[in-house]
This record gives sequence, structure tokens and C-alpha cells, in this order.
Amino acid sequence: MRTTRRAFVKGSVAAAATLSAPATLRAQSAPTKARTVRAVMHGDLKVFDPIWTTANMTGNHGLLIYDTLFGLDEKRQVQPQMVEKWGVSDDKLTYTFTLRDGLKFHDGQAVTSADCVASIRRWAARDGAAQHMFARVKDTPVKDAKTFQIVLKERYGLVLQALGKLETNLPVMMRKKDAETDPNQQVTNKIGSGPFKFNDGETRSGQRYVYDRNADYVARKEAASGFSGGKIAKVDRVIIENMADEQTAVAALKAGEIDFYEVPPIDLLDQLEGDKSIHLEVLNKGGNVGMCRLNWLHPPFDNVHARQAMLHLIKQEDILKAVFGNPKYFRGCPSLFGCTGLMQSDANTDWFKGGQNIAKAKELFKKAGYDGRPVTILQATNISFMNNAALLVAQWLKEAGVNAQLAASDWGAVVTRRAVKKPPAEGGWNIFITWGSGEGFDNPIGFVAHTANGEKGWFGWPKDDMHEKLRDQWAMAATVDERKAIARKLQDNAWNYVPMALLGQWAPPVAMRSTLKGFIPVPAHVPFWNVEKT
Amino acid sequence: MIGFIIRRLASTVIVMAIVAVFIFLLLHLSPGDPAAIIVGDNATAEQIDAVRKRLGLDDPLPVQFVRWIGGVSRGDLGVSIFSHEPVTKLIGQRVEPTVSLALTTLLLAVTIAVTFGVLAAWQAGTWIDRLVMVLSVVSFSVPVFVVGYLLIYVFSIQLRWLPVQGYTPISEGLVAWARHLVLPSIALGLAYVALIARITRTTMLDVLAEDYMRTARAKGVATAPMLLKHGLKNAGVPIVTVIGIGVALLIGGVVITETVFNIPGIGRLVVDAIQQRDYPIIQGVTLLFSGVYVLVNLLVDLTYTLIDPRIRY
Repeated sequence: MRTTRRAFVKGSVAAAATLSAPATLRAQSAPTKARTVRAVMHGDLKVFDPIWTTANMTGNHGLLIYDTLFGLDEKRQVQPQMVEKWGVSDDKLTYTFTLRDGLKFHDGQAVTSADCVASIRRWAARDGAAQHMFARVKDTPVKDAKTFQIVLKERYGLVLQALGKLETNLPVMMRKKDAETDPNQQVTNKIGSGPFKFNDGETRSGQRYVYDRNADYVARKEAASGFSGGKIAKVDRVIIENMADEQTAVAALKAGEIDFYEVPPIDLLDQLEGDKSIHLEVLNKGGNVGMCRLNWLHPPFDNVHARQAMLHLIKQEDILKAVFGNPKYFRGCPSLFGCTGLMQSDANTDWFKGGQNIAKAKELFKKAGYDGRPVTILQATNISFMNNAALLVAQWLKEAGVNAQLAASDWGAVVTRRAVKKPPAEGGWNIFITWGSGEGFDNPIGFVAHTANGEKGWFGWPKDDMHEKLRDQWAMAATVDERKAIARKLQDNAWNYVPMALLGQWAPPVAMRSTLKGFIPVPAHVPFWNVEKT
Repeated sequence: MIGFIIRRLASTVIVMAIVAVFIFLLLHLSPGDPAAIIVGDNATAEQIDAVRKRLGLDDPLPVQFVRWIGGVSRGDLGVSIFSHEPVTKLIGQRVEPTVSLALTTLLLAVTIAVTFGVLAAWQAGTWIDRLVMVLSVVSFSVPVFVVGYLLIYVFSIQLRWLPVQGYTPISEGLVAWARHLVLPSIALGLAYVALIARITRTTMLDVLAEDYMRTARAKGVATAPMLLKHGLKNAGVPIVTVIGIGVALLIGGVVITETVFNIPGIGRLVVDAIQQRDYPIIQGVTLLFSGVYVLVNLLVDLTYTLIDPRIRY
């Protein structure tokens, strides 16, 4: 058979139409670009259970598909969220909660008291703040489908604050059958009752995670504020793209292929600021607080003078400038609770006001009986803050006459080695660098790095009975002012025994297309309700 | 020939078994703990221990190895520690982007490189030859990620002709698929263009100096048939060898290219897995790559017999 030019053209057109048909059909069924937000966050989403893990990526996922009983508003006041009304008995031991009408899981089932109690109990098995509260909980009876109680053995001042907490592990409400999963195992279902539904069909693990607007969600009438108020999904779809390369993510933002980038690299901010189609905004005002964890189990930091030496040794501004460049995104901070929250104070911070004092640090190391043994600093070279901070701390230690040795590896290896309690020469360590959210630092109970209960506590294993006693008092306090006063005492005591050294506070901006608006500033997370695309 | 192929395929099993033992020991003896990563930064030592126990990571290494290799022998590469999805499914999802990128890159590189190499040899000593050699040195010297960022800046940000990143499956449209592969293929292919062009030129220069080429010219054979039919075919064995080596190098290049252009291929899968110590994925992908290496070498050996009838197995 002879092929004519006309037949060839016809065939080509037909083939092209056939090949492009799936794309056309797909485009017709997917929300339009104008109703879709594409976002690149700070990492990949690996765990889908926001009660189980402290990973903030999972927290973001949790805020999209789940809801909470309470939420802190922008002034850090507790507001009801899934709860319609609540009350506390005169003896302050019984809290009664009634759920709102119309709450439904994404599978169509109504949210019941039994779901909430099971979720709270799961959360109590995982979260530090919840465990602190549940040590005082006698029972959690279900009264009817919409009413349940938390009955305490003794008064506790943080019941509502704990249920509305902003930082991971998030107290989200799951279906009873999911919440009853062994607390040591993750829930892998993604069925919540929040403003967005997880779209399993469009999701590609490690590539993109797709969330569609939950048309059945009944939002509160109040305006959105912090984690409280009306969680109204104003776009049809949110796609979380996993983009490992920062330069590529910036290029994609500039080209309009993504709308939002949570952690644009600091060295490219100038470039983004000059682009009229891009908008930079600090959403997480509290940002993060850097810390230098000191190992209390081995010399020299088993001695208080050596730990005090670290306060005089570290110049926070130098570390922050090396990493974040522009001072408008960082600040030196001497407060044990960070410098943006309610609990911050200047108690016992003369060491900070005096500035870096290597000679004083040298004197204190001598007083501690430092014998020249190597001091091992775990250096996570793949994370710029940890890498630069480790280099500077090592340099200052050398200047103070300490035999500082850097143990370079990636963060994955650091998280393994920091759990080793053996001496540094046998695979242990003396110092590692990390950070916590400003919001976390502001909470003496909820933040694991604030524990000082020795080897039962967090890496570094500081131990101070007065600190633990004051933490308990803080949790029992009835008012914010009382808590502030106790926080001041905590800090005063802490900078004497020195549980850790601080490395400053920073709050870098997010970058977004100018067509995007309505992001709610909250710590550590990025909620996508209330976000609009114009 | 059949016996040769069977022997080589049997050797594949041995090679993969050695790789399996090596990669298992390498991963489990190097620092890093997926349990510590999975529970998050603020987890306590007890929580980490509980996860480690649940994942079976606290079992003795021989027990873990027997468990894993037993699964592999049944075609089960295990389940991702993080996503809980079967490794075979995760690899399956990522095969198409990687194969698409590798094939388009090879096609582009071989077409351009052989043409340039033959041209340079034919015009040896002229400005064409020097230009091809200079370009090949530059292409070979500039890292893939630098070329990638430059291409993105020019063609995606400034000219807006092509997308910055991502991948569209071929089932969603040929044009969209091709548009997403143009820049990555060029970025990845440049080094291979240089490598293959240089070896083609060198081999062709030797062949062009042979008596039979002079005879062909004396008999009045036209230039194109002379170069391609008489010259290139006789220069084929070294060129095919280098292309085979190129496929091996390509796997390393794919990892970087997929990261720069955000292509959800096997390279990205394994980089993410390494960072998180997702052992089953790393082990599965490494086994796959080792199998591909062996098969590519087998194909190269078989191709020799097509190019040079004197070669027999």
C-alpha cells in the first residue's frame, strides 16, 4: 500500500490526538490551576500519623486532614474547635466536653465521643505534655455520642492548653479504630474530619501528596485565628511537592510552577526580594531556637563549671550571621524559653549581657578540672546551621584551651550516635547541635528538651530536681501570670546549673507567588485553610 | 552462542548475590538508625528503642540478613520502613521516568556524538575538528548540575520555553512527556556526547588510515557510504564498548539529574532512602542496578558479534 502525504498527515493528527487524550481527560477532571495550590515544604512526608511522630511535615499533613478539640488563637488563648461547649466542675477535677453538630469523618461516619476519647488516649501514650497531664487523669468516661469527660485525680492547670497545643505531637481526633492502633505503631490510614481530604489516587509517595477540599466540612463561624476559628478551605486542591533541590524549587517558584516555598535558601532571598511576582513573609514569628546539647554523663560536662563555661564561650550572633546572613531574620537570645513567647524573661542572664568571654570560659574549664581529654562534637555536615555552629563552637573551644574534635557525618548518623551513653572514646559524644521551635521552647512541659530528669530524659540527660519541681508547679498554675513567675524561677535556676547552651533564635521567611494570600501565621506549621489564590 | 548467554545469565545471579551480601553489610555496619529518624527529633530513647524492636532492627545481623535474602529469593524486596509500601511497587512507580530519561539521553548522545566524531575524524586538523574537540572537552568538564542550572535559567526562567522541573508520564501526552525531558536529557547527555565523540574520532582516524579505506576512495565510493559503511562499521567495537560503559556511568548521572530537575525516578528514590536509612529500598535498588549492569555488559558483548562477524562465543 502506498502512503500518500495526506494519509500521513491524517495519521499523525489521529496519533497525536490519541496520545494527548488521557491528558485532556485528566485536565477536565482535575481542579483548575487557579483553584490549586502547589507547595514545597521543608522535607518529604514520610509518616502520616501526627499523634505518633514529632515531625513537623506530619504535623502539616495532620492539620490538613484532621481537626482538634481546641486550638490556640493568635494571642495564644485557648478556643474551642471541634468542641461546641465545655465546662469544669467546681472542684476543678471534672472537665466535660460536648462536640459540635455536623462533624463527620471523610468516610462519612459522624465523629463521636468514643473517637475523641480513643484519640486522646493514643496521644497521651505518645506526647510529653499529654503524659504529664495523664499522670493526673483518673478516667475519660463517654457520657453519650457527643459528650465525654476528663476526670482528674488532682487539679491541673493545662488541660485545655494541652488539648489545643500548637506543636507536635498534635492532639488530632482520629476514628476510634485508627486511634486504637498500638501506640508504638503508626496509623497509616489518612481519614480525618478536617477541612481537606487526602487523595490517595493522585498521591505519589516521595513525589507529591494531594489534598482535596472537604465539601462536607462544617467550619466554625468565627474568623480564622491561629489554630482556632473557621478553617475554611478556599482552594479545591493543595499539592505538596517533594523537591529536594533548593535551587530548583526557587526556579520553579519564579517560573510559577509552584506557588509556595516554605524554606527558601537564605542566600537566594535577595534574588527573590527583587522579583515582583514573589512575596516574602515571616509566618512563623517564633521561628526556631538553636541549642548546644551537653552530655552530662561524661567529663568535662558532668561538671557544672564546664557547662557554665559554655555560656561565656558562645557568641550567638556569629553563628547566626554565618548561617542566616541578614540580621532581620535572627536575634541573640538568652532566655531558656526563647525570646518571642509568653515565658521569656531576662532572669539570670548576665552571662549574655557580658558578651563572649573566652578568658572566663578558660578559667571555668580549669575550675572544672578539665584534663585535656578530647571533647567530641557531633557535626551534621548536611545541615548548614548544625555544620556551621559545630565549626564555630569547636574553634572557640580550642581558643579556650579545650581539645575539641569534630565528628563529621550526616544528620542521620548524628541521631544514632547521640543516643549512645558510652564515653566519647567508645562511640559516645560530648556536644551535639540542634534546634527546637520557638513555640516549643516556650512550653516547659511540652518541650522534651526542657526535661531535667537524668537518663530518663532527652539526649544530654541533664538532671536537676529543682527544675523538675518547678516544671510541675508551672503545670499546676491556674493563670498565665502565675506561670510566667514560675518560668522566671525556672530560668534563674537553669542558668546556674546549665542544662544546655543556647545558640540564638531565627525566623526566616517563606516565599510565595504574589497571587497567594491568607496564610495564617502560626509556629512551626503551615495551615492551608483560609488560603486564597487570586 | 546460546551456551554463552546462559553462562552469562547464570553469572548474573552470582554477581547479584555478592552485591546483596556487600550492600547489606555496608548499610548495617555504617552509622545511622532509621528508627531514630522515623520518630522525629524530639523523641525519647525509649520511643526509638520501641520502633527499632518493631522493625526488627534489634535482631542479630545474620537473622536480619536471612529474613531479607529469603524474601528476595521469593521476589519480595521487602517493605519501605517509612512509607510501608512494598519496595517493588515503589521501584515500579519510578521505573518509567528513569528509563525515559536514560533512553532519551542515550539516543541524543549517541546520535550527536557519533556524527560529531565521524565529522571530526574526516575533517581532522581543520577548524571543524578543533571545534568538536574543544566542545567535547568543555562538555566533559562541566558538572551535570551546573549545566542543568544554566539550562533552567536560560530556557525555563528567561525564555519560558520549557518547564523547570517535574515529569509527565507518556500516558498523559507525548508532547508534555517530551517537554519535561528535553533539558534533563541535554544536561545529562553532554558528558556522554564528549566521551563518545572523542572515542569515535580516535577510532575513525585509525580506520580511515587503513588500506581498504584508501582502496574504497580509489574505487570512487562516495564520501557518506565510505565513512558510514566502510569506516564506522569497522570502528564500531570500541564505540559500542564506550557506550556500554556510558550506560553504567549514566546511572550515577541520573541520580544527580533527577534531583536537579525534580524527576521522580529511581535515582531520587535511592537518594531519599539513603538519607533516611530506608534499608529495604537501598538494598532493592542496588540489586536492581547491579542486574542492569550485568545485562548491559551482556548486550554489549552480543552486539560485538553483529558488528564484527569474526567475533564468536
